[in-house]
Amino acid sequence: MSNNKLTVIDREGSTHHLEWEPDQTLMEALRDNDLSVLASCGGTASCATCHVFVEKEVFDTLGERSEDELELLVEAEEYRECGSRLSCQLDFSRHLNGATVILAPEE
Amino acid sequence: MREPEAMSGHSAPVMIVGAGHSGVAVAAGLRSRGWEGGILLLDAEKETPYERPPLSKELLKDGAPDESAVLRKEKFYEDKRIDRLRGITAEAIDRKGATVLLSDGSRHAYHRLVIATGSRARPLTVPGAGLAGVQSLRTRDDALELKRLLVRGARVAIIGAGYIGLEVAAAASAKACEVTVLEFQDRVMSRVTSAPVSRHFEQLHEQHGVRFVFGAAVTAIEGDGRAERVVTADGTVFHADVVLAGIGVLPNQELAADAGLECRDGILVDGDGRTSDPAIYATGDATRFTSPVDGASQRLECIQNAQAQADRVAAHITGQQAAVPEIPWFWTVQHGVRLQTAGVRHPDDDVIVRGEPARGRFSVVYLRDGRLAAVDTVAGLTDFRPARKLIAHGARIDPALAADPGIPLTDAILDDANSPGPNPADAAPATARI
Ligand SMILES: Cc1cc2nc3c(=O)[nH]c(=O)nc-3n(C[C@H](O)[C@H](O)[C@H](O)COP(=O)(O)OP(=O)(O)OC[C@H]3O[C@@H](n4cnc5c(N)ncnc54)[C@H](O)[C@@H]3O)c2cc1C
Ligand code: FES
Repeated sequence: MSNNKLTVIDREGSTHHLEWEPDQTLMEALRDNDLSVLASCGGTASCATCHVFVEKEVFDTLGERSEDELELLVEAEEYRECGSRLSCQLDFSRHLNGATVILAPEE
Repeated sequence: MREPEAMSGHSAPVMIVGAGHSGVAVAAGLRSRGWEGGILLLDAEKETPYERPPLSKELLKDGAPDESAVLRKEKFYEDKRIDRLRGITAEAIDRKGATVLLSDGSRHAYHRLVIATGSRARPLTVPGAGLAGVQSLRTRDDALELKRLLVRGARVAIIGAGYIGLEVAAAASAKACEVTVLEFQDRVMSRVTSAPVSRHFEQLHEQHGVRFVFGAAVTAIEGDGRAERVVTADGTVFHADVVLAGIGVLPNQELAADAGLECRDGILVDGDGRTSDPAIYATGDATRFTSPVDGASQRLECIQNAQAQADRVAAHITGQQAAVPEIPWFWTVQHGVRLQTAGVRHPDDDVIVRGEPARGRFSVVYLRDGRLAAVDTVAGLTDFRPARKLIAHGARIDPALAADPGIPLTDAILDDANSPGPNPADAAPATARI
């Protein structure tokens, strides 16, 4: 499998282009490319510091959010019902090739 | 703000001792903050640095792969020019010469030194503690050995009902072992949570066949070459094939203490992770520091702290602004039920149960002088984020409203959350964030 290409908009509004390798979660791809994602729980859907927004069309192609993920997201100030995801819960997926991901504000 | 540090041009690297959660996070944080000088990461272990939480959870499960998740991929270290020495420990620091003596006899210079040596399992000191079959759990090797011993029908005695003892109890009972937990206190997790949460988890474990013995002081482990029996102070004998000691951890502070750095049950550091030597930092489980939230002296053994302190050290070394201190938080998963805690509870906090424990999902709210100090959430994370925010703000909470799970925690605030409290430490929370 080849890498996905991603566009990421950070919290300052700058655009980054990066490659997402198939054996990584989205959180790992963001973190390993020096984007400011604290990921303080190591990717176990506990800390919500890896919150991102994805476009609705992309969102709809992703799986359901688990109860833990949803409960953490709903309490975020900028929760988007059809856009918020914990990036640590997103495994590599072809559907995300070429997608744009926005880092949610830190709280 | 200090003068920004030159990001390169130092002949010696930043040397990081210990490649656990905190050490690796310092290395990664230095690079993401633009540090261009050398980074040398010393690793006592040989494999790719890995996550510890799964060692007592996923990894012990039947059919789970023996590789626990790595912190960063092997390639990351290459890409980020993080040099590693593996299977090598730091033996002594020469502060005057700014060098460290390694276990292979070599000596390496540092520009800045970061001690991220973590902690080790507190050893059992009773007679027989050295017998085969007596285990502690800290490293992947420990976990793999334990996994091998936890076979169907094995009699497993767990000494200590803390997070790790209970996580192993859950894993062992899921593998149809006969599990007995011996605890000196009168309830589980007594150091970290209140009685209602303890009772809930005791019942959960009992439903899965785990037996608890409270008030049990283990005095000896007996057996012919291998552990066979655990004996307690009142003379009771428990037959066991496997004994796990989960009786807490000790900070790995010797390297620092021997070099004359101030230590007191932990390497003493300030809010930026600086030790008493300005060229030397320490982070993670090995450290003790003053809480920016309530002024208490504390040693925290959790991933959140390992990461957050690492980021502050990376910020300080590169002369940058660090993030505002976080409210510490913790989690554990037992029999698939998650307990997640925001803040640090004190034994004399007021305890408010929020919801119906019998339903399996509830929170417990801890108030100190009327202000929110900590929240435990059981099997649900709805209160977790609001709790961290309210704790950071030192919010005053109406106990009656907080007891009603139908009312959001944020609606249980009494007055202006930022009003300063009666002592200076109370004013500090306004600067903390979640
Ligand atoms: C089984 C288990 C489960 C856990 N579960 C959770 C959990 O669910 N949630 C949570 O928040 N926390 C959990 N923790 C705690 C968490 O893992 C620690 O808080 C965290 O690892 C601390 O990071 P650290 O970098 O300070 O230390 P460590 O991760 O322990 O790393 C220190 C490293 O330094 C090395 N070292 C020590 N001395 C030297 C030396 N002289 N020279 C070179 N290297 C040296 C050690 O070998 C080690 O690799 C768990 C811990 C264990 C053991
Ligand atoms: S990394 Fe913690 S929730 Fe995703």
